[in-house]
Amino acid sequence: MTGTFKEIIETAEKKGARKRVVVPWASRENMRILGKASEHNFIMPLLIGKGREVEMLVKSTPLASLDHEIIDEKDSGRALFKAIQMIRENQADILMQGDMDHQMFIDSVLDDEKGLLSAKLASFVSVFQLLKRDKLILITDTYLNNYPSLVEKQLILENALSLARILKVDSPKVAALASIEQVNPGIPSTLDASILSKMSQRRQFGNVIVEGPLDIDCALDKDAALRKGVNSIVTGNVDIYLTPDIEVGYPLAQLLVFIGKMQMVGILMGTSKPVILDLPFVSNENKVAEIALAALI
Amino acid sequence: MIRTLNDVSRLAKEKGPKKLAVLAPEDREFMEAVKKSQQMGYIEPVLIGNQETMQRVADEVKFDISNVEKIFEVDRQAIANLGTAMLFTGDVDMSSKGQIPTSFIYRSIIKEESKAGTGRTISVITLWEIPELDHFMAFTDTGANIYPDYKAKVAVLKNAIFLFHILGYTRPRISVLSGQREIGGPLASHEDGRSLQKAAASGKLGECEIIEATSFFEFFVGKGRQLADYEEIDIKKLPEILLVSSLDTGNILCKLDFFLNVKRRSLVMTSKGPVLIPSRADFCDSIMGEIAMGVVVADRIKGVV
Repeated sequence: MTGTFKEIIETAEKKGARKRVVVPWASRENMRILGKASEHNFIMPLLIGKGREVEMLVKSTPLASLDHEIIDEKDSGRALFKAIQMIRENQADILMQGDMDHQMFIDSVLDDEKGLLSAKLASFVSVFQLLKRDKLILITDTYLNNYPSLVEKQLILENALSLARILKVDSPKVAALASIEQVNPGIPSTLDASILSKMSQRRQFGNVIVEGPLDIDCALDKDAALRKGVNSIVTGNVDIYLTPDIEVGYPLAQLLVFIGKMQMVGILMGTSKPVILDLPFVSNENKVAEIALAALI
Repeated sequence: MIRTLNDVSRLAKEKGPKKLAVLAPEDREFMEAVKKSQQMGYIEPVLIGNQETMQRVADEVKFDISNVEKIFEVDRQAIANLGTAMLFTGDVDMSSKGQIPTSFIYRSIIKEESKAGTGRTISVITLWEIPELDHFMAFTDTGANIYPDYKAKVAVLKNAIFLFHILGYTRPRISVLSGQREIGGPLASHEDGRSLQKAAASGKLGECEIIEATSFFEFFVGKGRQLADYEEIDIKKLPEILLVSSLDTGNILCKLDFFLNVKRRSLVMTSKGPVLIPSRADFCDSIMGEIAMGVVVADRIKGVV
């Protein structure tokens, strides 16, 4: 089981083959990060943008002395289209968002006909490194889907389970979060969580244990859960936290970053090849680990 | 202005004892917290609950309750009604949830507020003490309203602003938290935030300021910028009150104290005094801290209502 971001980077290094990371409209910061990642020798950057300008930017970063390729394209929309085409045609392995509008990027990546969606639904998974022990936890969906239905939550969970398998989490333990640990017909999140939990009991997710509904104190603390009458192998040792909606997922991830000072990376799941979003609350210092995570997929 | 839980403990000793109705202290952690709070001089408890269970847990934590006022009742709703009625008639200064479903207490408060004709909406305010932050930060509503609409949000905010005024914050800064981000279209939580901001600016919410930022990222980094490293995070930028969009958001965020180095205190501000709402999973120290907070609020509310 991969327990730290350092291990993610080391595993990506050990895999040997360099992954081709295509970046439409890369910023100077993108290039600086790509340079740092290239030093670990697990990627080869392919930069699509205005040729001369890209060359100039590259020269101001450590990437200048490392392997990279520049593909000339004058328009940012066409650069993105080209990058997605390259992924579809197996000319690149990872798509990384450059300096462009987030909605345009997502819409293009998830376009039914010309995009990269391979699962029934794409979702975003935040990966956090615990502060007190070597363990990674996954929280989803923290960025993409607003108010997922039960069916969509099932797909979001399956996407997270795919990532958990890549991180070698044996029999993942999932907390389907809600505001209370009891099933309350007036609180929809508790109903969805209880159904997912029942589905897991019937082994519909394979070797996975989903417990829900769990409030956060039960999820985080076994003793607290026992005092509320919840006795589960999941409590106090959760691998995946499934949030009810974006009004929980988005602030939860950010609170852990900004108040908890927990290191976070993230990845879009449900696409044919890994896609790295340019989220402003993933710190620059963690972006190398984020690229390494994509390289493992 | 009360900035830390140390301030609260000190003031609770000064201003106590206050009379506290404890609703079903039928669990060791709760009874222990009541015992220690009495020893500290915070409270004079009135224990309401099942006679046998209360006596058993009192014995377990070596708390001699022979001279403590007790009301024996087994029905959960009747316990909540009794304690809440005592608060509203002034027989006690505050009440606290023990091993009893919170919804029973809300029902009792709604009934009493209705009788008193206040029209007050129930909401739970959860205060956090965060190291290096020179003020309290609160989430609201963390316990009562599942999906508050605009009108309910106004009422929820007014309750929180009232509490902060009592704690000495003359113009609390507020953020209306939202999942609104670069993608996904407009969210109702964000729209409500803009409307609340206008209401606050025109003075309809009392002395307060609703800031533009609606996410932690915007508090600490700002739109159009990128978090470089964690060294740049200045915790002092946190506003005092975070209005959340749903019960799920409020309850999940506010209990992250089980994970992070923060301390939590939750209460309902009724028109007559505080009702403490510790989680049924809370431990003695946390419950004691909540009682201390209640003492301070109960003391200060007397001069206001």
